[in-house]
Amino acid sequence: MAGTVSSTKTPPWSLCTEPAVFHDKRTGRHLCRDHFISDVESRVAETIRGRRLIVPGDHVVIALSGGKDSTALLMILARLLPALEGVTLSAFTIDEGIHGYREDTIRSADELVKKYRLTHTMISFPDLFGGTLDVFLEGREPEACSICGILRRKALNVGAERAGATKLATGHNLDDEAQSVFMNVLRGDLPRLLRDSGSDSQGRFIPRIKPLMFISEKEIAVYLMLHGAWADLPECPYAVHALRGEVRRMLAVLESKHPGTMLHLMESRAQIEAHCDGSLVAEPMRHCAECGDPCSGEICQLCNLKKTL
Amino acid sequence: MKIILPDKTIRYQKVPNPVPVEALIRDLGFDPIEVLVARNGTLVTEDALLEESDEIRIIRIAHGG
Repeated sequence: MAGTVSSTKTPPWSLCTEPAVFHDKRTGRHLCRDHFISDVESRVAETIRGRRLIVPGDHVVIALSGGKDSTALLMILARLLPALEGVTLSAFTIDEGIHGYREDTIRSADELVKKYRLTHTMISFPDLFGGTLDVFLEGREPEACSICGILRRKALNVGAERAGATKLATGHNLDDEAQSVFMNVLRGDLPRLLRDSGSDSQGRFIPRIKPLMFISEKEIAVYLMLHGAWADLPECPYAVHALRGEVRRMLAVLESKHPGTMLHLMESRAQIEAHCDGSLVAEPMRHCAECGDPCSGEICQLCNLKKTL
Repeated sequence: MKIILPDKTIRYQKVPNPVPVEALIRDLGFDPIEVLVARNGTLVTEDALLEESDEIRIIRIAHGG
């Protein structure tokens, strides 16, 4: 049958004769287990090297939710660690207080850091903000992702500071990044499209890095499956309310029909970024009159939100 | 064909022999980008051909993490 591969025949564009576990539709390559793992790890290493995400002597703290992306991030960084001169790794986990969801992922995070013998700290919304996300969202479910995003941003910064880190690594993957590009285009928010989370705080926050930004969600799932590290974890119950959910489905269909769509969105952002040369994100950064954190207005989003919780 | 769905329910389904993975998962209502497929416990690509006697597991890639 045209376009298909029998179980006994070596597919075209294979690197070896071992059975393929992944077919990259964009390049046409079929990769066996070992070639796939090596390909993912070398692409992450190249992202780190090419963008100077980690430099000798860094203390990288991983924002470890225990879900698939941050789990894969930890595994890959631990694997690359010997090649990263004088770099230390640790992890912290945010417990937002989402009943029926976070319990499983926190358990998973706990097991992982024990296995890799990493220092692990916990930080919770009740500790930081006086209540769980479930309580804050009662009657405000449609705003879930906006509210959680503002609170999590603060929690991430506090967690990285408490860990004494020089870099904060998050598990954002290619799908996440492409969705963000598309969402900001849909919102008409060009400054936000170009603003990098690690560059908009005038050195006040610990820089964030996204080593998995060119690894697709599917590749991450395959990587975990091949390491026996895949866990059937629940999806966030509030995800159904998010614009991101709609964008995710739309992009999934486009990527399926037109392989490379997500990567092209990332390339578009890079090209716009190069042409704008920072001019669109040059609005002066101010400091919140209440908490002193960097923000674009007089009062930061977090302080405004706190008044409504 | 024995098919284990993401919610762990088991379905026995008559399929063309052989059937491409992608055709099967689309027929079951899934988008290939959102699921992985294992044949007899081993991951297979979307262009692999499945036999009637294979045991297939479909794993949904949950968002988040």
